[in-house]
Amino acid sequence: MKLYTALRGALASVLISAGLLALGLSAAPSASAQTAYEAALPEGINSAPALCDLVACGEVLPGATAFSERKGQPRYVEGYAEVDGKRTLLGYVMLSTDITDTPAYSGKPVVTLIGMNTEGRFAGVKILKHSEPILLLGIPESALIRFNDQYLGKFVGDNIEIGRSRPDEDMIGLDAISGATVTVIAQNQVMMMSGAAVARQVGILEPTIRPQARFVDAGRALDWATMVKEGAVQRLTVKAEQVGLARSPTPFIDLWYGYLNHPEIGRAVLGADGWRALMARLKEGEHALFVIRTGGIESFKGSGFVRGGLYDRVQIRQGQDAFTFRDLDYLNLYGINAPGAPAFTESGIFIVRSPAFSGAFPWKFMFLGNRVDRETGARSFANFDTEYWLAPSYLEGGRPEVKKPDAPWVRVWKMRALEIGLFSALLIAVGVVYAMRDTLTRRSTRKNKWPVNVFKYSAWIISIGFVGFGLLAQPSITQVLTWFHSLLFQWQWELFLTDPFIFLFWIFIIVTVFLWGRGLFCGWLCPFGSLSELLFKVANAIGLKRFQFVVPMQWHNRLKWVKYGVFFGLLAVSVFSMGLAEKLAEVEPFKTTFLVGLFNRSWPYTLFAAGLLGLSIFTERPFCKYLCPLGAALAMPSTFRWFGLKRKQECDSCHACAKGCGSNAIDADGRIDHRECMLCLDCMVLYTDDHACPPLAQERKRRTKSGLPLTPIGADGYFIPIKPVPVRAPQA
Amino acid sequence: MVDPRMVTDPVEPPYASSNSALRRILAEAWDHLWPWSRSGFQQQRALQAAGLALAMAASVVWVLAAMGHLNAGAIIGWWFGWSVFEILIRLGSKPYVKEGPWWGKHYRHANLMDMICYVGFKNLLIGAVLFLGLKSAGLLIV
Repeated sequence: MKLYTALRGALASVLISAGLLALGLSAAPSASAQTAYEAALPEGINSAPALCDLVACGEVLPGATAFSERKGQPRYVEGYAEVDGKRTLLGYVMLSTDITDTPAYSGKPVVTLIGMNTEGRFAGVKILKHSEPILLLGIPESALIRFNDQYLGKFVGDNIEIGRSRPDEDMIGLDAISGATVTVIAQNQVMMMSGAAVARQVGILEPTIRPQARFVDAGRALDWATMVKEGAVQRLTVKAEQVGLARSPTPFIDLWYGYLNHPEIGRAVLGADGWRALMARLKEGEHALFVIRTGGIESFKGSGFVRGGLYDRVQIRQGQDAFTFRDLDYLNLYGINAPGAPAFTESGIFIVRSPAFSGAFPWKFMFLGNRVDRETGARSFANFDTEYWLAPSYLEGGRPEVKKPDAPWVRVWKMRALEIGLFSALLIAVGVVYAMRDTLTRRSTRKNKWPVNVFKYSAWIISIGFVGFGLLAQPSITQVLTWFHSLLFQWQWELFLTDPFIFLFWIFIIVTVFLWGRGLFCGWLCPFGSLSELLFKVANAIGLKRFQFVVPMQWHNRLKWVKYGVFFGLLAVSVFSMGLAEKLAEVEPFKTTFLVGLFNRSWPYTLFAAGLLGLSIFTERPFCKYLCPLGAALAMPSTFRWFGLKRKQECDSCHACAKGCGSNAIDADGRIDHRECMLCLDCMVLYTDDHACPPLAQERKRRTKSGLPLTPIGADGYFIPIKPVPVRAPQA
Repeated sequence: MVDPRMVTDPVEPPYASSNSALRRILAEAWDHLWPWSRSGFQQQRALQAAGLALAMAASVVWVLAAMGHLNAGAIIGWWFGWSVFEILIRLGSKPYVKEGPWWGKHYRHANLMDMICYVGFKNLLIGAVLFLGLKSAGLLIV
């Protein structure tokens, strides 16, 4: 009676909270309508000259009352205020997607409006649109706003990184958002790249001065093929589909370019006289490059180019410095002298008038375009580039040493090397311990399972404390859905590598699911699963056993399908609406428990997670068995695990293991359902326990009674048979 | 008598007894790609005939996708629809799945869930290869 009362109470608590959660979710769209999640951007935001007519620029540049049209390359607007009746420049406003299309965790960029004052300090940041699932419900969007607020007042030229400040390295640290590391790392890149790009254009940041190149002139007459082979001319091809147009055999644009200051290249392209004439026009520290179009009909000069204006389709970048071209930086190019040069339909020579540029160092030629969204027709900024670096044989003393900064994900791996090492050690240790299960289960008995449990319980505790609450590395179905979308839209390894713990965890999960089934992750290392079962075990140990119950098998066999329904439902919804799928993925209480914290969320979520954990006190792993969509997703490939658990023929009638199976994974015929099994190894302990496994105990008693020796137990779970050997006849 | 050492009753497909590893691998590959069997066709003629038609339609969809005439959503929809139908076909014609290591020779009877897992996983891999192949060849734009 007590059991049913407890069951009814616990179930009622979970059902009520689930209902309230559903209500909360249904109410969520109205709340999220005011957020930036997948917010509709004003039409023309990416192209309209008067950017500030469309978005509230004043919010990111306080005090500014008037704004210019978009200018520069990359584009920005100037913000002005009336001071003593005079129009005074207050600062600059930039739209992040005008400068970089760095994707965040969702694979899409966080569209950010950034304000910067004339001293190069960030004055305001406003998120216009994001697609980050974690910020939809798990972590409030205000966390990202608070994160962005950390930039206010900071100088754009500072070294700003996510993590602790390191004054000795001149590094300013920003507090990350727990559970949204990838998002904030991407956001930091966006902020710093955008700010620096505009600050360099307007002269706040000084360009890097690089030593000029000293060229080797062997007097060779280079043909086109040799220049291509030696990298002296490079090609940049943009396909139609790369800018969102229908696939076409003709490229959107196909360009060749090269550096003309080098005498051999210059003479090959322009002829000796042409090159001398060009060099005579260039001053000290000026550089020339040629560009020809060999495919496509789009102009690299831009159709909207006007006298005195800027060529807005090409620029070059060296390190952090961008170099753009005005009309005075352009010369006509009428032909290519080098034998074998391709036919071209557009050509030109551009001059870099900056001592910051050096032909000795690598640089990128960039074609700046727009990508058209096929569904909405909206245009967004996109750039395409290839790297150019003169071969060592073209430079006196060869190429200078260039130290490229680490990619963001590499910095994360270096910064958290110790934790990554410990986490990897944990994963390897659990794998090794499980691989040695036969040795451990043979050392255990039904009454003493410590040789197995000491490892399992240690894994649980480490998983809850270190992995779950410490590293926030709780795998989730949302990651599966994100991968699915990334696969469709933009797969970037760098994005997933930015969260090393989840990345490593998934490698472990994929490998172990195919080796042994989902049980090793679900039963040993899932932080929430571990917490759930630990609560059950602790409750058992402290005297609540009388309230604990096992869901009857006939109900278990029905309820276990619910999690598959949840998984397929989420998958189907994600195809139509990723946002809705992310909301519905709140059926996982992981965010509430580990990422955000039970007491940091609105009460329906807290009640739901607490209800599930409360129910876990009375019955083993109710969430894992009946609701977990991630468990269902992993259970399906577990059908094809390589190595299962052992059984004996007698298991079809003996239900000793089945009675003790906390996962209800052993059916009436004694077969193990590996999709449900959590690999607790209790049945494997019985398998070789000659006092607990009925067929073995029977044989033990028989042998003892007959005075026969107890041979070791073989791999088949039986005593190794005693084979009488015929006595040899005595030799004569 | 039920054998609890197997998850379901053991089954031996016609090619399983072949001693030639190459022949068995080829037969298995064919098994993965071709869901029909002669015995199955005799048992569920209408269903299997409809399945053939649907398989052709799904193939046409992939070809259309390769020609750039279909978007990703349509391909996913078709592939999902075909997968559901393939489950029904296989339950009638080739109702078995492999047990244990993939390089082994043990097969067992497939119940509905086994078949959902098998077809779902197999078609996910095939679909991913085709999808990524088309995308990297620039034939499919998302």
